[in-house]
Amino acid sequence: MPQIEVENLSKVFRVPEREAGFVASLRSVFRRRYKEVRAVDGIAFKIEEGEIVGFLGPNGAGKTTTLKMLSGLLHPTSGTVSVMGHVPWRRESDYLRRISMLMGQRSQLHWDLPAMDSFIVHGAVFGVPKAQFDETLNELIELLDIREVLKKQVRSLSLGERMKCEICVSLLHRPSVLFLDEPTIGVDIAMQARIREFIRDYNRKYGATIILTSHYMADVSALCRRIIVIDKGRILFDGLLPDLSQKLAPYKVIKIDLDRDLNGYDLASLGDVLSLEPRKAAIRVPKENAAAVTSRLLTDLPVLDLTIEDPPIEDVIQRVFGGAATQ
Amino acid sequence: MIRAVRLIGLFIRVSVQNFAAYRFDFFVRLFVSLGHLFGELLAVATVFSNTESLAGWRVEHMLVLVGVFRIVAGGIRMFIVPNMRKVMEDIRSGSFDFLLLAPLDAQFHVSVREFVVWRITDVVLGAALALYGCHKLLGTIPLPQVVLFVFMMIASFTIVYAVWLTLAAVCFWIVRIENIEMIFWNIFEAGRFPIQIYPPWMQWGLTYLIPVAFITTFPAASLLGDPVTGMSPRVPLFASILALAALLLSSWIFRRGLRRYSGASA
Amino acid sequence: MNLPMRALAAHFRAHLAVMMQYRGEVLLWSVWGVISPAVLYAMWSAAASGSSSGVIAGYDQASFAAYFLMMMIVGHVTAAWDVYEMGYLVRSGSMSAQLLKPVLPMWQSIGANMAYKVVTLMFVVPMWAIFAWIVKPKFQPEWWEVAAGLAAMVLGSALAYLLSYVMAMAAFWAPKLDALGEAFFALSMFAGGRFAPIEALPWYVVPVAKALPFRWMYEFPTELLVGGRLSGAETVWGLIAQLGWLGVLVVAFRVLWRAGLKRYTAVSG
Repeated sequence: MPQIEVENLSKVFRVPEREAGFVASLRSVFRRRYKEVRAVDGIAFKIEEGEIVGFLGPNGAGKTTTLKMLSGLLHPTSGTVSVMGHVPWRRESDYLRRISMLMGQRSQLHWDLPAMDSFIVHGAVFGVPKAQFDETLNELIELLDIREVLKKQVRSLSLGERMKCEICVSLLHRPSVLFLDEPTIGVDIAMQARIREFIRDYNRKYGATIILTSHYMADVSALCRRIIVIDKGRILFDGLLPDLSQKLAPYKVIKIDLDRDLNGYDLASLGDVLSLEPRKAAIRVPKENAAAVTSRLLTDLPVLDLTIEDPPIEDVIQRVFGGAATQ
Repeated sequence: MIRAVRLIGLFIRVSVQNFAAYRFDFFVRLFVSLGHLFGELLAVATVFSNTESLAGWRVEHMLVLVGVFRIVAGGIRMFIVPNMRKVMEDIRSGSFDFLLLAPLDAQFHVSVREFVVWRITDVVLGAALALYGCHKLLGTIPLPQVVLFVFMMIASFTIVYAVWLTLAAVCFWIVRIENIEMIFWNIFEAGRFPIQIYPPWMQWGLTYLIPVAFITTFPAASLLGDPVTGMSPRVPLFASILALAALLLSSWIFRRGLRRYSGASA
Repeated sequence: MNLPMRALAAHFRAHLAVMMQYRGEVLLWSVWGVISPAVLYAMWSAAASGSSSGVIAGYDQASFAAYFLMMMIVGHVTAAWDVYEMGYLVRSGSMSAQLLKPVLPMWQSIGANMAYKVVTLMFVVPMWAIFAWIVKPKFQPEWWEVAAGLAAMVLGSALAYLLSYVMAMAAFWAPKLDALGEAFFALSMFAGGRFAPIEALPWYVVPVAKALPFRWMYEFPTELLVGGRLSGAETVWGLIAQLGWLGVLVVAFRVLWRAGLKRYTAVSG
């Protein structure tokens, strides 16, 4: 029996059209024009208890909207959602006590108070029995290593410290389902890795189901076995990560900065040329050729700087799923 | 119910604990409170050095009114304004979502979670002034009048809360309006002086349409028990009806706003 | 056109656009300037009819109406809020960004100030008209009082702006002291004649109020434009006093600005 079942879920927003210019803004006072935005368009999936699932897709794909409908923050336009047997947007107390949501760019801590106070309030609001609260709190403090920052005002914490406290507060009531919306955005690489490690440990230890959205491939590949790719409100792929990698026909993008002009050097023979300037270029090569092409470039040309990058996710989706993505 | 009371107690305790850390601030705030009071007393002194009667109110009556105004101004800033400002801020920043994720009635939650403890100085100073003014006039104040006064103050705060809740709820529809609270302060300004200074048609408006009279004038009148200040047996009855109606209406508006925020079909 | 003037013109235009965008908020701010004098008019009018002579400090009901209507207009023209904002600018570090520009931050503030006054006219003029229609004020200025009054209003506006800015500079030394704005407000209310004509204040306050510059910002232009209150000599002396205070404040500004900057860059940079 899947823990989370979503069927034919859609969310349509009516957005007022904003026009530039003085006359247009006057006109809009009297007659508003709306356009319909299909943020989520007939998606369906099932998730078992204890899975870690990644929702991957470009900005505006509908990931956050989906998560909000799963957590009960948003009412769908049509379709059904069942999480642990509950209908999320009924916002039943029992349901809310068993889920948690962490939003990367938004804080649920009180800025002017020490983090500890926010924790205590959270525990009281969620009705966590004292003994369980103390136990969970101590575990989380150890796991996240935040003992020293508890008494400091949240406003004076660094972003990394604050993120750890946000994670702590979202887990104080031992939720069974965790929704993580862009949890590592804006955080430095070391902290990103630590957060991912923590999430993995938490899932292993408590068996909590975790749904994670991100537009960083790295987040998803580090944590999730199963990936759901969403673009323009539709699911483009729902399966295991290794299958997605295979499907992507992996490419790398090599960018070079030169000491002198290229002078007609034949880059096109090495791979797809993405951009070309006298002293700078970017080419796309199959993953397995990346090393060879790199050493060739380094030998042939006076390279000042060379980077090897993954193509951005939007490109990947466009390339692989072609027409479906542009509908 | 008990849980609700316990939660309120927790919010207050948290606020007090954190304020105790800033002792210097307290004296500055006390000084500012006294400054406000001094300004208001200077205003009264100015008026009554030029006349004996302000629409029937004598200086002792006015002292009570100033005291009541202080109590309301302080009380509003103690537990209504901080909560309502946070709601508006949360809606704008998106943090309001966290409120909807908490297993607690949203309206209750947003109304009690903030508390500015040091504003109690205004309330205490105002109460002291009101009692002093009344005592000067009546000697010992009869207990029924004190009880009635407390009742009228509760009604007054309920009406104020309802107005603020409505203003905050407007943010569900018009997210961007930053200083919508000015609407309240402008209305409140009219309550600095007795309602009887206005022409009769305006008095009517300020009693039945925008019930400013019930915020300051009538509570003061009820403590004084003097018909010249507007007290009549109908006043407490009207106050309770008005307070109840305001509470119900504003709660309804807030809930409609919640539905809109979460995209429920209207 | 030299650089400060060009900067001023640019800021003025930019702020005009911004305020049109935020016209809802701007409207709400401007209502206060009408409500406060209106309430005070109602109060003084009741006080006057309750007094034995029906007249207070030489004002009867109709002339009180004129007084407070004029206070609305003068209040609008003399609005200055740097004393409230500077603390925030310094604390948040926004001042640093402004200091990097080749002209004084003051020009941006003046641009915003003027833009606000222009934009709000479309809201407050109807409100003034409605108020006048309801209360039927009695104006009786001579032509020279009108001329002097208008000059006094312009001077008073400059005075108010400068005083607000000079007081605001305390923020360089005490960025958390928001109470200074409240002090400015209270003083402008009582010592400026906005609460009541200064002659109506208790005897122990009057000399203090007369010694301060606030009366020249609010009461002086008001009395002139209401008419029939000041003699020719008093008017001339008043204008001289305005110019005198203006001079004092310009000097104070220069001195404090330099000192304040030194302190600001030493402390926060």
